[in-house]
Amino acid sequence: MLVTFALMRGMGGTPFSTPLEPHSGVPLPVELQLREFYRLDEPWVVQYLNYVRHVFTLEFGPSLVPPARFGAERGSVDEVMREKFPVTLQLAGLASIFAVVLGIPLGIAAALKRRSAVDYLASSLATGLLVVPIFLFTAVFARYLVYGTHHFPLGWDDWSTRLLAAFTLSLAPIGYVARLIRAAMVETLQEDYVRAARAKGLRVKRVVFGHVLRNSLTPFLAAAAPTMALLVTGAFFVEQAFGIPGAAQDLVDSAERRDYPMLMGLTVAVVIVVALVNLAADIVAALLDPRVREEVT
Amino acid sequence: MRPVFRRFRTNRPALVSMAVLGTLVAFCVLAPILSSHDPYALDFTQQKHGPSSEHWLGTDFFGRDVLVRVALGGRASMLIAVAALAVAAVIGVLYGSIAGLVGGRIDNVMMRVLDGAFALPRFAILVSLVAVLGRHGSTYSTLVFGLAIVSWMTTGRLVRGEVVRLKQTEYVNAARSLGAKRLHLLRKHIGPSTFGIVTIAVFLELPGLVLTEALVSALGLGPSAATWGNIAWLGIQEGQLSHVVYVSMGLAIFAICANFIADGLQEALDPRAEQAIPEARRGLLA
Repeated sequence: MLVTFALMRGMGGTPFSTPLEPHSGVPLPVELQLREFYRLDEPWVVQYLNYVRHVFTLEFGPSLVPPARFGAERGSVDEVMREKFPVTLQLAGLASIFAVVLGIPLGIAAALKRRSAVDYLASSLATGLLVVPIFLFTAVFARYLVYGTHHFPLGWDDWSTRLLAAFTLSLAPIGYVARLIRAAMVETLQEDYVRAARAKGLRVKRVVFGHVLRNSLTPFLAAAAPTMALLVTGAFFVEQAFGIPGAAQDLVDSAERRDYPMLMGLTVAVVIVVALVNLAADIVAALLDPRVREEVT
Repeated sequence: MRPVFRRFRTNRPALVSMAVLGTLVAFCVLAPILSSHDPYALDFTQQKHGPSSEHWLGTDFFGRDVLVRVALGGRASMLIAVAALAVAAVIGVLYGSIAGLVGGRIDNVMMRVLDGAFALPRFAILVSLVAVLGRHGSTYSTLVFGLAIVSWMTTGRLVRGEVVRLKQTEYVNAARSLGAKRLHLLRKHIGPSTFGIVTIAVFLELPGLVLTEALVSALGLGPSAATWGNIAWLGIQEGQLSHVVYVSMGLAIFAICANFIADGLQEALDPRAEQAIPEARRGLLA
């Protein structure tokens, strides 16, 4: 938190002179009044302590810049977060469901039919999804599906757009999850206990779901952090392309406008959410794997 | 010939990747030199043309030749990534070798900090960093330092692991029993041996960095010069999706090749290691 704060303080300029407009045209008396209102003239220690107090009470203060988009009202950072964050969370949540539902079967298929046509097809599909930058998908889908047809209205009100946006966001994670599951399963399939289970007459299905998959989940959970990173990165582009009023859009806007409280608030919030998800993944991993469980206790 | 090179030579995917990557780099370096089109000259009589014999990939909104710009952008993107990696490698090597060499509680704390840094959403932080570092608009160095700050961790972790391993080897023990100081050990015995692992880390991180640069610039936050991200950004703004496709192809080829090379290096440097680089550690991600 201190780091974000230091960074924001070190950020060049003030809202009164951004790199884009060195002189905002705000008259000096007004500027002085605004400076006092936002306490920009206090020593940084005081500013920091104020800031920490507010972060813990989840108040990030008013935004320094009125929102860019037409029709929006000038709001405090908390309002923006309360309004926009749930949208981004829903988007990311939906996308991770897609990633798990589509990615795991793809990985299983590739691992079970190792070195077959299915494997090569699934593996290259997964790699392709992972290396093609998200902005290609969003640009193509926006052009041909959103503007090309009438089925996907811009924004976050319609379920068809929600699903499309979440699907687009999930593409890279699908590839990632599939590659992970394949790698983990190929390794587990060679374990002696798998051969033993097969030898004692268990059906393939039973072995795969009961033994192999369960033991492949730990590396998968360890990958929660990169997956989250993919989702956060993608959200910037998905929100932009489909006109979704989410927090990632505001993060970019506030970065462009040197809107410290907004940028700080949103960055801290994203970091907290990601950290919590990673913590949850670690805990689940501990519950699944007796080896990790022992390490913890 | 050194065995490392001999083993690397037998790895066909890695060799093919080297060739493809070499071609891509050669194209990016040579195209702007050989072409008669100025990548920065505006020509509003030639706006948004399709591919033609004059402009093989067409022209953009400002009438500039896209082929030359994609090549130039590739050069800029790769240079940014390589420079960022150089900075990140220095940070990573220092961090990793300090943690590994000192050991004990300090090592433990340093590794937990590193885990924490790994868990952060790189891209969101980079977006803020670009705003912070680019006081007067973003430049190459803004991106280089921003990228370096968010991507030293892989190198740090790999180097630390290697240093811990090397510390227990007999030749280091022998040097220590002869009275060698820690700094001397690091400089003469441990440091040079980590070179291999650093190379692997570099190739693992490289595609992620090139991709991240493209993503940041594609949001309109990059430097004003031609980079892959900027070309994609303009393509999206102007509805010229083919330009986005060219850039994406360049990025995808780059990422895949760098990964095969990393695999090849890993095998060549340490043929006994059964395990390939764990999937979760790969730098394919932005």
